[in-house]
Amino acid sequence: MRDVTQALAAWLEDGGRQIGEIVIHPVGGGFALCHRDDVGREDLASTSRTEAARELANHDDAGKFRPLKTAPNLRHGWRLTVPDLAELRRALDYFYPAMLGVWCSHRRGELPPVPLRETLGRQSGMYRVTQKITDAAAQEMIGGFCRSEGGCLKHPLWEISPGQPIATLPAEKLQSPAARESWPLLCPEACNLLVAKAREVVKKSDRKE
Amino acid sequence: MFSPKPESALIIVGHGSTVNSDSSGPTFEHAEEIVRRRLFGEVHGAFWKEEPSLRQVLHMVDREDVYVVPNFISEGYFTRTVIPRELELAGPVTHRAGRTLKYCEPVGSHPRMTELLLHRATQIAPGVPARETSLFIVGHGTDLNENSAVAAKREVAKIAALGIYAEVLNAYMEEEPLIAQWDEVAKSPNVIVVPFFVSDGLHSYEDIPVLLGIADASAGAASANHAEVFRRNPYQLRGRTLFYASAIGTDPLFADLILEQVAAFDAQHQPAALA
Repeated sequence: MRDVTQALAAWLEDGGRQIGEIVIHPVGGGFALCHRDDVGREDLASTSRTEAARELANHDDAGKFRPLKTAPNLRHGWRLTVPDLAELRRALDYFYPAMLGVWCSHRRGELPPVPLRETLGRQSGMYRVTQKITDAAAQEMIGGFCRSEGGCLKHPLWEISPGQPIATLPAEKLQSPAARESWPLLCPEACNLLVAKAREVVKKSDRKE
Repeated sequence: MFSPKPESALIIVGHGSTVNSDSSGPTFEHAEEIVRRRLFGEVHGAFWKEEPSLRQVLHMVDREDVYVVPNFISEGYFTRTVIPRELELAGPVTHRAGRTLKYCEPVGSHPRMTELLLHRATQIAPGVPARETSLFIVGHGTDLNENSAVAAKREVAKIAALGIYAEVLNAYMEEEPLIAQWDEVAKSPNVIVVPFFVSDGLHSYEDIPVLLGIADASAGAASANHAEVFRRNPYQLRGRTLFYASAIGTDPLFADLILEQVAAFDAQHQPAALA
């Protein structure tokens, strides 16, 4: 059996305190979580219901739905307390789905990156058309969609195709950082939102032709 | 009674949406209900259009014995093509990297779905005599390369055979018989409409109410107070008393069907076959 919760415990013991935009404070035997921008604020709406994490993660400050949970637009103004490590893990799985487990897989060497061409190559139905995206258009799309500023906080570990790395994002964005104070958010494979974006790009260029 | 599986993980797979949280909501809620009952060592939701995605979810799983239940209304493109491909399933049983993945039937295929639809119909129209009531089961239609229309027809036939309601009818949003013509088709003074979907969303909040004539197309029913449409029952219109239910998949009893699909998998695949 793997043990993601145990890995989380070890990281906390080593001083780990942040994941994405969230700061974790040990409180008694449990933990308190809030947005990193809200540290020190005393007017936060407090809750101790772990499921509230799912609701908090669903919408940004303007009330807009967040299909990409690692987008840097986590809402502000809340404080969530959880009683123990198991509930902390459950809350973090809502805020940053799979990110705890993905890093654990990476450390065990079980996170092979999947090139974008392979991801697009297996699409069917309405997404099959994404296979037509050119390398240049893919590079441009990734540079916009995956950038940390306003896009996504994950670190893409994949290439466009073997030997053809992403050229439109900074080098430090394309590798896994060390898990020190902040838990790394890794992306071993283009997400479905990027695949959907690729469909948009292809459709747009088809219309132009 | 479901016998607990503390050594196993359960993944409930939903479609999800990039537009709103209503699509994944019921899948998460059923997962939370099963967590509360402490029946599995761990329970996760996974989605085609949301996170955790089907590609990510296995990284979250600690245990080696993993049940996968699609929270879909019918067998179709998603259950046969997308989910097996994204989870790299080899069939009902997949052994990979020290794990055993057990792929169960979709929730909507469970024989007790009929019971659930009946329960929902009774719940929204308490005290209304069934013999003076037409019950509609509304499906999307066949345009999605899914068999949801087939499943809806099967449920209508099963409920009709029980002889409880004056009539039980299929209707669709985009194909005949159209739900928009409910008052021309239904013969009874009371009409109950149950959407045969796994989650609420634009279809149940706005599209079907507009087709029924109980919401205004221009009002943007799906934007604010969208669940209000389910709270204003009964509607008096076109000379009938109309009761409109939320999507069947929002019923808390769906969690039981998820568990029963796991039990059905175990009954079908004896331990010897899994070795």
